[in-house]
This record gives sequence, C-alpha cells and structure tokens, in this order.
Amino acid sequence: MGEETIIWKLGSMAFHGKTLVMTWMVMVAVIIFCLIGVRKLTSGSPGKMQNVLEMIVDLVNGIAHGNLGSEKGRVMMPYLLSLITFVFFSNMWGLLPNFTFKVFEHLHIEFAQLDKIFEGSSFMSPTADINTTLALALLTFILIIALGVKYKGRHYFGHFFEPNPVFFIIHVIDMLSKPMTLAFRLFGNIYAGEVLIGVILMLPGVWIFAGAPFDAIWLAFSIFIGCIQAYVFTVLTTAYVAQAVVSEEH
Amino acid sequence: MNPIDINFTLPVQMISFLILVWILAKFAWKPLLKMMDNRRSFIEESLAQAQAEREQAEQIKREYQAEMLKARQDAQEVIAKATKVSEERAVEIMEAAKEEADKIKKAAIVDIEREKEKALAEVRIQIADLSVAVAEKIIKQKLDLNAESQLIDQFIQEVGELPC
Repeated sequence: MGEETIIWKLGSMAFHGKTLVMTWMVMVAVIIFCLIGVRKLTSGSPGKMQNVLEMIVDLVNGIAHGNLGSEKGRVMMPYLLSLITFVFFSNMWGLLPNFTFKVFEHLHIEFAQLDKIFEGSSFMSPTADINTTLALALLTFILIIALGVKYKGRHYFGHFFEPNPVFFIIHVIDMLSKPMTLAFRLFGNIYAGEVLIGVILMLPGVWIFAGAPFDAIWLAFSIFIGCIQAYVFTVLTTAYVAQAVVSEEH
Repeated sequence: MNPIDINFTLPVQMISFLILVWILAKFAWKPLLKMMDNRRSFIEESLAQAQAEREQAEQIKREYQAEMLKARQDAQEVIAKATKVSEERAVEIMEAAKEEADKIKKAAIVDIEREKEKALAEVRIQIADLSVAVAEKIIKQKLDLNAESQLIDQFIQEVGELPC
C-alpha cells in the first residue's frame, strides 16, 4: 500500500491495472483448481481434490436448498459455487507473497506497467478494490430482479407498493442498500486487511525474524476473515434472491 | 490516493466474473453436479433394492416358518394317532387275553365239575357195592340164624306187592 494506483487508459476510460491483472490471475487459479478437481470425476471413491470440490458443493447446496428449495436452488448452484470460490480465492490472493520476485522490474518490462503491478511484497486481493466487489454486488442485484421477474412475473413489481404505495420509497432504498452493503462489507474487510499487512510489513525490523509473528498472526486472522466474508457474500446473495423468488404465503 | 475510486474497472470485472462463471459452470460444476446426482440416484436405487430384497427375504422366512410349523403339527398329529392306535391295540390285546383266560377258566371249571361228578358216581357205585356186600353179609348171618324168617317173608311180600 502507499504506492500509486496503476491506471490503464483506453481512450477516456480508466481501469485499475493491478486489480484486473490480479483478477485474471485469480480466475486462472480458480479454473485450474476446479479442473484438477473434476479431472478424474468418479461417483465411486473420489480423489482428494474432488473431495474438496464436493465439500464446497455440499456447503453451497445447503445454503441454496435451504433458502430457495431444491428446484430453484439447482438453477442457482453454478453461479453460487463460482461466486464462493472466486471470492474466497480473491480474499486469499492478497495474503500471498509476491512470487514474481520483481522479475518484471529486473527485466525492465514496462508493458502495461507490469513492473509496477508486481512491485509490492504481496499480491493484491481483487476484492480489495471497490470495483470488484461492486461488480459482484451488481450482478447479485441484477440476479435478484431477473429471477424475481422470472418466477413471479409482474407480481414481482407489485410488492414494491405493499402494503401501501407510500412504502415504495422504503422498498427502493431497501433494494439499493442490498448491493451497497454487499459491496462495501466485502471491500472494507479485505481492504483493511491488506492495509494492515502493508503496515505490518513497514514495521522496522520486520524483515528479520522478530517481525514475523505479527505478520503470521494477522495473516491467520485474514484467512479467517476471508473465509467468513466469502461465505457471507454467498449466503446473502442467496437470501436476497430467495426474498425475491420464494412466494410468501401469509 | 482514494481507495473508493469507481471507474471502468467495474464493467470489466463484471464481464470477467461472468466469463469465469460460464467456464466453471460448463467444465466444472455441471459435470460435478451431474455426477453427484447420479451418485445420489445410485444410492437411492441401491437402498430401494436392498429394501425390496429384505422384504423378499422376510417373506421367504415367514413362509419357511409357516411350513416348519405345519410340519411340526403334522408330526405331532402322526405321533398322537400312533399313540392312540397303540393304546387301543393294547386294550384289545388285554381284552382278548382276559376273554381267553375266562374261557380257559370256565373250561377248567366244567372239567372239574365233570371230574367231581365222575368221582361222586364212582364213589356212589362203590358205596352201593359196599352196602350190598355189607347187607349180604348181614343177611347171610341172619338167615343162618333162621330167626328172621318172618322178616324174609315180609320182604318177599313187599316185593310181591311192588307193581311190576
């Protein structure tokens, strides 16, 4: 932290280069992780990686089927599984040391400012950028409305005016606050974690052995937070979709 | 630097994530979920099959037990019948033996009676002979004495009066 934000420019559009590079690295990692898991797919006795994937599937299955019922839950499963693995890997990514060993800087590769992107002592969590978390939250928002309309038709918009048209404004605020809280909760947790890692690494003497315990403790706590936040994001997405989709019969 | 800086990274992230979802859904989650469904249905089928087989086994066991019970009852009946027949036979034999014994007893009694009669008759004959002999002797004595001529006469007379 403390280094300047790397901006890519395409015409008048600005992009956070570091976030994008890290996101794509995470995507590659997630894809490799999942493909190793399904490489030798068997319904007999699964291998270790398949077991890990099945545990994730069971976890998400519990969340989705509990909230949505088995039919609608089945539709949501691939999205939710991708979401939880991506957010989890993203949260963990910022805890990894920079394994490129500043090779881009040594070789003076300045293409797309790669030398600056891989400058820090750690990687960066894509979820430590509000753009990433807001993107995921907006996808959740779109999903809520899309599935609400799909399963309830025009009645879905009817609930904005219940029990009284005056409540419309409250429903709109409620609706907008959902992606906002989702995005800022995840961003805040992970960003704060990375800032603190940066601060710990700036402590005097951290590069000798004495500073290691602080870093280790905070990394462990960050892993815990990363797991919790990935779970929370998935659970809340499911719960919001369930609110919109499941017909309430009072 | 402002950490909350929303720019065009956001749509790129959305597209990136959707691509990730698409790739993972196609290559990882769908096959995995399908396999898990297959496994579940396989387990359900196996359980149902096991249930059916257990019921079948129970059925067979019940039938077997019923047959066993029937066989045991039959055997009991046979034994009871045999016991009854043997008892009846024993009674019959006993009765027959008793009858036989009675017959033999009666025959013996008859024999004894007859022997007795015979003996008595013989005795009577001997007594008569003896009486006659005794009477002869006495008569001979009296006649010798001639004292009883009157008696003889009377006797003759009496004989003569008997209807011939």
